Amino acid sequence: MDRNDVKARVYKVIASVLKIDEGQIEEGNSFTADLGAESVQSVELMAGFEEEFDIEMDEDEALGVQNVGSAIDFIGKHLD
Amino acid sequence: MAKYELQETTEPNTLDEMFDYSLPPKIQFDGPLVEEIDGKQVVFDPAEALQRDLVITDTTFRDGQQARPPYTVEQQVKMYDMLAKLGGPKGIIRQTEFFLYTANDRKALDDCRALGHKYPEVTSWIRADKGDFRLVKEAEVKETGLLTPSSDYHIFYKLKKDRRKAFDDYIEVIDAAWEAGIRPRVHLEDVTRADFDGFVMPYVEALKRRSEQVPADMHVKIRLCDTMGFGVSTPGVKLPRSIPKMIHRMTHDIGMPPECLEWHGHNDFHKVHINGATAWLYGCNAVNTTLFGFGERTGNPPLEGAIIEYIALHGDLCGIDLMMVQELAQYIQTTGVDIAHNYPFVGRDFNTTRAGIHAGGLRSDERIYNIFDTTKAFGRPPRVAITDKTGVDGVALWVNEFLGLKGEARLSKIKVHKIARWVMDQYEEHGRMSAITDEELEAQVKEHLPDQYAARK
Repeated sequence: MDRNDVKARVYKVIASVLKIDEGQIEEGNSFTADLGAESVQSVELMAGFEEEFDIEMDEDEALGVQNVGSAIDFIGKHLD
Repeated sequence: MAKYELQETTEPNTLDEMFDYSLPPKIQFDGPLVEEIDGKQVVFDPAEALQRDLVITDTTFRDGQQARPPYTVEQQVKMYDMLAKLGGPKGIIRQTEFFLYTANDRKALDDCRALGHKYPEVTSWIRADKGDFRLVKEAEVKETGLLTPSSDYHIFYKLKKDRRKAFDDYIEVIDAAWEAGIRPRVHLEDVTRADFDGFVMPYVEALKRRSEQVPADMHVKIRLCDTMGFGVSTPGVKLPRSIPKMIHRMTHDIGMPPECLEWHGHNDFHKVHINGATAWLYGCNAVNTTLFGFGERTGNPPLEGAIIEYIALHGDLCGIDLMMVQELAQYIQTTGVDIAHNYPFVGRDFNTTRAGIHAGGLRSDERIYNIFDTTKAFGRPPRVAITDKTGVDGVALWVNEFLGLKGEARLSKIKVHKIARWVMDQYEEHGRMSAITDEELEAQVKEHLPDQYAARK
C-alpha cells in the first residue's frame, strides 16, 4: 500500500472519530493541539487505525504518535 | 555557585530500605529528639524508645461505648476475640478495659475472660469512688482504671471539691485498691489543662512514693488523659499542653518508669494519632486506643493507626495479623457503626483513585499511588473509581483488575476504548453526576469484550 493510500484512510478515520471534515486535516496537524482530540478520542483514533488497517499496535508506541504525518508513517511501517 | 549538583542515575532510586512495599513504610531516625525543658537541652533517643516494651491498650468497650448505643455481649466477645488475634502472640494489644456498672458490662467482661486469651488482659474502669470499688472486687480483675480528674475545671466545677479534698479522696481509693490486691491505674483526667506543678506533680509524686510500699507488679500506673484533645506534640510548646515535657516531668522529675505510663487522647483538634505516637517515643510505653477511633465526641487514637505505627517503627510485623484489621472493620459495621469511605486503611475508598493521571500511574507501577502492598497486608488491592475524571487509564485499570489479567495479558487502553467512550458519554451526553457502578462496568465488559468476559475466572 503506498503512502497516499495510507494517508487517505488515515484522514477518513480522523474525520470519523473527531467528527470533522477531511478538508480540515493537514499532515502537520497535532491531534490534540490542532484538531482538538480529547483523551478518549486519542485512544479512539488508535483503535480506529487498528480496525481500518487490521493491525495491532503497541499501546505506548501508538499513543506516542502525536500528529497526522507521524501516524501515516507509523502505520506505513507497520504494513511493510 | 550551586551548593547541590544533580546526580544522574541509570536506575531509579526507589528508597527500598525505607519503602519496603511489603510492609508499611518504616519510620527511620537519623538522630535524637531534642527538646528544651527548663532551660536545658534534653535528648530523647528513638533507639531507646524502640527497645522498650511499647504496647497498645484498648478502650473500645469503655470510651468507645460512650459514643454510641451499647454493644451486645456477643458483639464485645467477638471483637475481643479478634483483637487477640490482631495483636498476635506477643500481645502487642496488651490490655482492654470494661465498665462494671451494668449486668451487660459484667457479663461481657466475664465472657471475654472465659475465652482464655492471654492478651488482651482484661481490666476494668471505675470512678475514684469507694462504692465503685466494690464492683472491682466482685469482678475479680487484677487491675482497674480509676478516674481521678486532675484539672481545676473538674475538681472545682464538676466534683465541687478543692484540691486537698480531691487529692485525699483519690489517695483513699487507691490505697483501698492495694488493700484488695488490685493494681491501680490512675487516670489523670484533663491533664493537658491541669495546673501541672500545683496539682499533678505533687499528686503523682505521692502515688510514686506510696507505690514503694507494694510489690513492683502492683506499682501504680499513670494514664495521662488528654480529655479534650489539647495535647500538642510539637517541640517548644508550653505545659500543660506539651506532650514531650509532660512525659519528661513524669519520668525524669518523679521517676515514673515508662512501663507505668500510658497515653489516652481525643481528636478534637485532629492530633489524636500523632499525639499517641509521640507519647510512645518520649517515654509512655502504652497508648490507649479504640477501634477505628470511635469514642467520646471526636474519638480516641485509632487502634489500627497505632498498629501500623508500631510496625513502621519496628520495621516488622512482630506477629501482628493485619488481615484482622479488615475483619474488624467489616464486623464493626454490622453493629450499626459507619466507617467513612475515605477513612485510612479500612474505608471503602482508602486506596481508591479517581483521577485519570493517578490511574495512569497505578497502571505503570502500583507503588506509585498505593501506600504499601495493601493486597498482601489487607486483601485490598488498589482500586479505581470510574468517573468523568478517570480517563481511559482508569477504565483500563478497572477492566484488567475485573478480568484478573496481569502482566503481558493485560488489555491496552486501545482495547477498552468503547467502554471508555461509554463512560464519557454518561457525563457529556447524559449529564450524569454520580460515579459509574461496578455493575454497570461489568455490563459494558460483557458487551464489548465478550470473549474476555466469558474467560474470566
